[in-house]
Amino acid sequence: MWSSFPNLVANENMKIYFRVRTWIMLAILVFFSAAMPAMLYVTGAAMDAWTVFTWTESFTLYLSAIFTVVIAADIVAGEFAAGTIKLLLIRPLRRGKILMSKWVAVLLFILLCAVLTAVVGIALSQLFFAGTGGLGSGSGASSMVNSLLLLLTDTIQLVMIALVAFMLSTLFRSGSLAIGISLLVLFTKDLFGFMLNPDKYVWAKYILFLHIDLSGYIQSPIGPGGVSLSFSIFILAAYSLVFLLITWWAFAKRDVAA
Amino acid sequence: MMQQEPLVRLLGVTKKISSKVLVDNVTFDIPPGQIFGFLGPNGAGKTTTIRMMVGLMSITEGDIVIGGYSIRSHYEQAAALIGAIVENPEMYKYLSGYNNLKHFARMMPGISEERIREVVELVGLEHRIHDKVQTYSLGMRQRLGVAQALLHRPKLLILDEPTNGLDPQGIRELRDYLRRLTREEGTTVFVSSHLLSEMELMCDRVGIIRHGRLIDIRQLRSADGQRTAEETAFTVHDASAAAALLQSFGAKTEGNRVIVRGNPETVADINALLVEAGIRVFAIQPVTESLEDQFLEMTGGDRHVE
Repeated sequence: MWSSFPNLVANENMKIYFRVRTWIMLAILVFFSAAMPAMLYVTGAAMDAWTVFTWTESFTLYLSAIFTVVIAADIVAGEFAAGTIKLLLIRPLRRGKILMSKWVAVLLFILLCAVLTAVVGIALSQLFFAGTGGLGSGSGASSMVNSLLLLLTDTIQLVMIALVAFMLSTLFRSGSLAIGISLLVLFTKDLFGFMLNPDKYVWAKYILFLHIDLSGYIQSPIGPGGVSLSFSIFILAAYSLVFLLITWWAFAKRDVAA
Repeated sequence: MMQQEPLVRLLGVTKKISSKVLVDNVTFDIPPGQIFGFLGPNGAGKTTTIRMMVGLMSITEGDIVIGGYSIRSHYEQAAALIGAIVENPEMYKYLSGYNNLKHFARMMPGISEERIREVVELVGLEHRIHDKVQTYSLGMRQRLGVAQALLHRPKLLILDEPTNGLDPQGIRELRDYLRRLTREEGTTVFVSSHLLSEMELMCDRVGIIRHGRLIDIRQLRSADGQRTAEETAFTVHDASAAAALLQSFGAKTEGNRVIVRGNPETVADINALLVEAGIRVFAIQPVTESLEDQFLEMTGGDRHVE
């Protein structure tokens, strides 16, 4: 019986968007998506509009990551902290369904962040830099495609980081540790790639950290350790499945005590 | 009294966490329409039992059956019959009372806007329902908690320590309200408490739990709502003769009094017997030992958590 599922997602959205916190985060995101092109314009950078958007997006990615992780870590752990989990879980619904509705709400939030960045960032980049050439990559068309592909791969990064936060916060039933660790993953994944170099260790190519950021494939079809894009996507899918199963176990099978 | 199929059945329910036994082989039935009190000192296993009844905790051994559905194998059907507040009624503070109710209404089938308004009126929150819950007093939160529990007209209402944080007026209202629910809607109510006097006023029957074991079940009221006088004392001129005569009733003597357990019918019969045997009866009085005395006696006066 999945007829109640849209209702559950509506509930989770209500709990996200009825909080002032969420609107402050979105306002900050919109502000920087607009401010970056404006600042680049003021400094008189000689760039084409799509390069400006790429720069903007590369910066706002970190904002989106922080906000997404906060939402993903709070959506389960917050219910435990406030004690509302008890009233939530005594309904005639399987716990797995409630958990999935929460994850869908997180995905929708990530989508909203990406759309806001794209709409505001592209609009302002075009406004300030329309028709300007100069420092930038090749023709206008390929520049646009590359820029949008980067937005896509960065959004996939957000999903993976959010899933780590979602899993850890459900396991620990506490948001702060989950926020810390998942942001650490985002900021240190390149370091892991450097230390556990797949050119040196064959098994290192199965490590999640190397595949979170797929943007390398925009330039080259060869990934870390000589693997292909489809291999990276397979790794991401496999880890996602395992993480979701762990999260489901932690949420659906464990007792809810004081 | 007609025997009805019990709405709630606890069958040898046991909860162990690692090697610690929190609830130990608890078995009892609750017939529909009753207010059942679950009484025990803090840490006795009341909340753990309630958590198992509503599916928040797994059952180590035994089973709980609600309206014929096992919590273990038919959770969704069983849970659909239950409305509950487990411990404090913690609601989403950043949402209005109304949105909290809407939130829970969305999780259960067939709850109209009309029904939400109805329960809001029922608990008397209509003037504040669109304010955020963080502005509510404890009593108002408690009432909002009752409202969310009643949204889907549950057959079984479970309230964990419902009088916590309520002023005497609020307790009184809750009591009257629960009575009305059982009378008018046939709802069965399961309340836990460590407040003995409160239970005496509220419940038809109480189960007493201590160290995770159910140690006694007492009928406090008969089916027609009258309090049952369990023991009656006959003050007579010759107690030993009376005791000999009433041996079959399990009579015991206490000074010049003979104490017999039985309902009003039995009391009348015994009186006739005594008079026939030429024993002079000076007084017939119900022995009203308060539940508190019984409780302290049974729990050995031990009210500390161990």
